Amino acid sequence: MDGVLQFILNSLSLGSVYALFALGLIMVFGILKLVNFAYGELIMVAGYTWFVLQGTLLPLVVVVLVAIVVAAFTSVVTERVAFRPVRSNSMNAMLITSFAVSTLLQNSALVFVSPRARAVDVPVFFHTNINLGGVQISVSNVVVILVSTLTLIGLLVLMQKTRLGITLRAAADDFRMLQLLGVRADQVIVSAFAISGVLAGIAGFLWISRIGSVSPTVGMAPLLIALIAIVVGGMNSLSGAIVGGFFLGTLTIALQLLLPQDMLAFRDAVIFAVVILVLVFRPQGIVKGRFATERIG
Amino acid sequence: MKKKVLGVATVALLAMGLTACGANPAADPAPAPDATAAGSDSEIVIGASLCLTGIQSPLDEPILRGAQLAVDEINTNGGVLGKQLKLVNLDGKSDPVVVGNNGEQLTAQGAAAIITPADFDFGGPASRAAQAAGIVGISPGASSPLFGAATLGDKQFTLSMWNTTMGAAAAEWAYNERGLKKAYVVTDSFIDYTTSLSEYFIESMEHQGGTIVGQDTYTQGDQNFSAQLQRLKTAGSDADVIFVSSYMPDLGLIIRDIRAAGIDTPIFGGDSYDDPELAKVLGAEFGNDITYATHAYLSEEASALVPDFLSLYEKAHGEEPDTALVANGYDTVNVLAQAMEAAGSTDGAAVAAKMTSMKFELLTGNLTWSAETGNEPQKEAVLVSLDKGEPKFNGWLMPQWVPAA
Repeated sequence: MDGVLQFILNSLSLGSVYALFALGLIMVFGILKLVNFAYGELIMVAGYTWFVLQGTLLPLVVVVLVAIVVAAFTSVVTERVAFRPVRSNSMNAMLITSFAVSTLLQNSALVFVSPRARAVDVPVFFHTNINLGGVQISVSNVVVILVSTLTLIGLLVLMQKTRLGITLRAAADDFRMLQLLGVRADQVIVSAFAISGVLAGIAGFLWISRIGSVSPTVGMAPLLIALIAIVVGGMNSLSGAIVGGFFLGTLTIALQLLLPQDMLAFRDAVIFAVVILVLVFRPQGIVKGRFATERIG
Repeated sequence: MKKKVLGVATVALLAMGLTACGANPAADPAPAPDATAAGSDSEIVIGASLCLTGIQSPLDEPILRGAQLAVDEINTNGGVLGKQLKLVNLDGKSDPVVVGNNGEQLTAQGAAAIITPADFDFGGPASRAAQAAGIVGISPGASSPLFGAATLGDKQFTLSMWNTTMGAAAAEWAYNERGLKKAYVVTDSFIDYTTSLSEYFIESMEHQGGTIVGQDTYTQGDQNFSAQLQRLKTAGSDADVIFVSSYMPDLGLIIRDIRAAGIDTPIFGGDSYDDPELAKVLGAEFGNDITYATHAYLSEEASALVPDFLSLYEKAHGEEPDTALVANGYDTVNVLAQAMEAAGSTDGAAVAAKMTSMKFELLTGNLTWSAETGNEPQKEAVLVSLDKGEPKFNGWLMPQWVPAA
């Protein structure tokens, strides 16, 4: 019983971070059909903001909020400076641009801070355990689950109840139609990048508080996770990203526990095999979107 | 027009390549490197292909800082053989092919020796280029036993102790000095360094008479130690010592999770622990009873050479070194300078012969290379432990018994 509860908590905690990663990536993908390979670097930017600000006397909450804002700002700036000029060109131009932005940001961290990992001050209580009905629960798991749940609810309200959310969802379904109705493409796309940046900032805080340090390549794993999660979850809907994230998180934890010792080295291979199996039977991903339209120009 | 330019460039490149090749056989009898364009009568070029970008850069970038510091110091004191040293680094970009090409380019430009990245996979190609050109190649930190004469050639060296020595030093210290006889070993299976270090630790521990009560693996980048922790709690409950062979950033997470779970068994490891960021990640709360075998300890208790080095470094950079790897870079240049001075020339064979016959007193310990065992470094390890998040010097150790590579 103890083990089962522990398993559920670990899966929820990892899955919810993965879901946030995937949501941030799909925000932009839904509208531009662009896999933004610079997405991982937004997480890195959030981490370095935390690193830079930790010397100041600002309380952690403020530092984290600033980090999220900086990540969102970076996301918007990359859209304005790098992606918008090539948006009407080929898909390949966008893809290459996203690689360029990723390399640029990564190398900036390398040159201006250090290629070596830098420690961030994670409060000690994050890593303590609390006893809840005989079960040891780490505070960081609770924080992760709480923060991601709140974020998911916030995003849900935004997407369902506000004008911006409705516009974004409409844009993901049929951008051309939206333009014909007089909605400005630039504004919609900038908002998508901003939300993507906010999600990257929040997920980045949770991720980096787990690791305890930030390095120029810290965003690479989250990018890969997000990409796999949206492919397996379904690339045409937000719920697909959430399902994909939790699916991947649970699968990872389950295999880590269930695989025999000498098979553990092949855990990732098994994960990918399962992902391939899912795609064989459901090529659209677990959740099918309603529309699958061409990318806008 | 463009084609013509390309054609001319190709011919020029070919010509350069040919002259370089032509020079190689001649390099043995006579010290020839000064004849080419880059090396003039007044300077000796030391080439380096250290990686300033990519995954190897955390190791190589501080090494370059240390190497440059040594070059500047030597030049202020009159240089080597009456000439100024010039350090030319071409970014290896954490790509073995680029590192190899850099090696070719540097030897073609007349480098007298090559400093290669601190890893066998990344550093090997530059060493092969150096060997082909008949000059000394030296890695400041590659600890693979492959980094020696058998694999790379008789003029190729590493300043680091081999993993065999590192594993043996950790095991011997745990067994003899601390009386820790039952080990639980966690191995990061992501790179050769961590897997081979665990093997040598286990071999040495068993040679001492100790036992291995359990083993587990981890993969760098997982950011999740929960399943291993569950097993450690049961299978490792009667272990005296936990040997964790991993590296930053995940190393911090692993140790923190072990300590946060209330397990205070001593933890041992290798030189990847030698990173101030590890101490910071763990803090006073979790950074206790963690001991590691490494290259240098930058305090006067460890070596009388340290205070001068520190003040030199602080003058140049305005802060303390962030990692002891800086000392490896500094030592590497000093070894080359001392060997060249003793050989009275920059000729590769003569310098290599001096390197295998001299005894070097360095920041990173006393060092000799033995030509009989394939330029195996005979080197002391320094044992350092974290206590309340602060590093403490434990002592130098030359292991009595070292497993065969």
